[in-house]
Amino acid sequence: MHTEATPAQADVPELDLVKRCQKGDTAAFDELVTRYRTRVFGMIYNMVHSEQDAWDLAQDSFLKAWKSIGRFRGQSSFYTWIYRIVTNVTIDWLRKKQVKGSGTEFDDAVQLKEIDPASRTVPKADALPHQRMERQEIRARIDAAIQQLSPEHRAVILMKETEDMQYHEIAEALGCSIGTVMSRLFYARKKLQNLLRDLYENA
Amino acid sequence: MKTLEEKWTAWIDGELAGDELAQFEASLPDRAAAEAEKRDALKLGSFLKLHLPCPAMGNEEFFSHQLRERMAEEAGGSRVRESAGEGPAWWPIGRLAWVGATAVAIFTVFAFFVMREQPQTDQSQYLSQILNARVDPVVSPNATITMFESKEDRVTVLWVDGLQSLPSEYASK
Repeated sequence: MHTEATPAQADVPELDLVKRCQKGDTAAFDELVTRYRTRVFGMIYNMVHSEQDAWDLAQDSFLKAWKSIGRFRGQSSFYTWIYRIVTNVTIDWLRKKQVKGSGTEFDDAVQLKEIDPASRTVPKADALPHQRMERQEIRARIDAAIQQLSPEHRAVILMKETEDMQYHEIAEALGCSIGTVMSRLFYARKKLQNLLRDLYENA
Repeated sequence: MKTLEEKWTAWIDGELAGDELAQFEASLPDRAAAEAEKRDALKLGSFLKLHLPCPAMGNEEFFSHQLRERMAEEAGGSRVRESAGEGPAWWPIGRLAWVGATAVAIFTVFAFFVMREQPQTDQSQYLSQILNARVDPVVSPNATITMFESKEDRVTVLWVDGLQSLPSEYASK
């Protein structure tokens, strides 16, 4: 799991930071935010496909985490705990959006800088225009396919395939059983295979 | 007991082992097709990993700054709500005792003034009966009536002089 913390901050064990947060230390919470803000933002962005919404939802998630950090008992890792908040906030938002049936589905106006999965910390050098266009088209197809999944299926497939989380971690983050995680993963994969097969078979 | 979907997912992700793996693979009707399906699912995973990279935030420091401001606003809001009395709805015992004592004192003072100004009904009842009694000027032409009243002692004395006869309603019964 990659983090953004500086070497000095990374030396501080996560649980110590959490305990300081529980005593009201905002600086300790700031360090936790620095460690996880990019991952949280990325996870949300891949679910909602809008930079502005992902920003707002990440803000709401961290604020909620700050308010409820007193209830964190350390039985799971902090990132699993914060992911649970993040997925709850995001799934709630997606459900409300589905009910309203409004808003843009994709944030085409925003060109996000992508981080190379190999390094995951240093922005990749700009690609050639045709490569960038091709990548955008693929990205749009993937986003459209993910959009067809339910919020719960989206969360499971993204946690597994892009976050490399284990079944039990996903189960903790979503507050469900491991069996449910595996079952959701089965159906999410089937759906994406049907929708994207022509893309990844030729890749 | 795992369902077929759960076993299939675990098999693709390499989470089945030992007897469970052997039993599952033995139960597959078409092993070659299942292996092709597994490769397809793994290819999808690699494809998603490649094309759904972690997007960089535009301004990480501003994100943290904005969050700190929101946390401060929340903390300020809580303090204001508490000072405005939106906190606990119950009062402490000390405050309740003071409020109770003040209410009793106000009631006592009020009751005292009301009782003092209350007309003495005994006095007015008898006095009005006597004053309203008609003294016949033919029968008792020189009759005089004098009233002595002491409000403090709640006593009224009626002095009647020159009365020749009592009205019938005052006859002893």
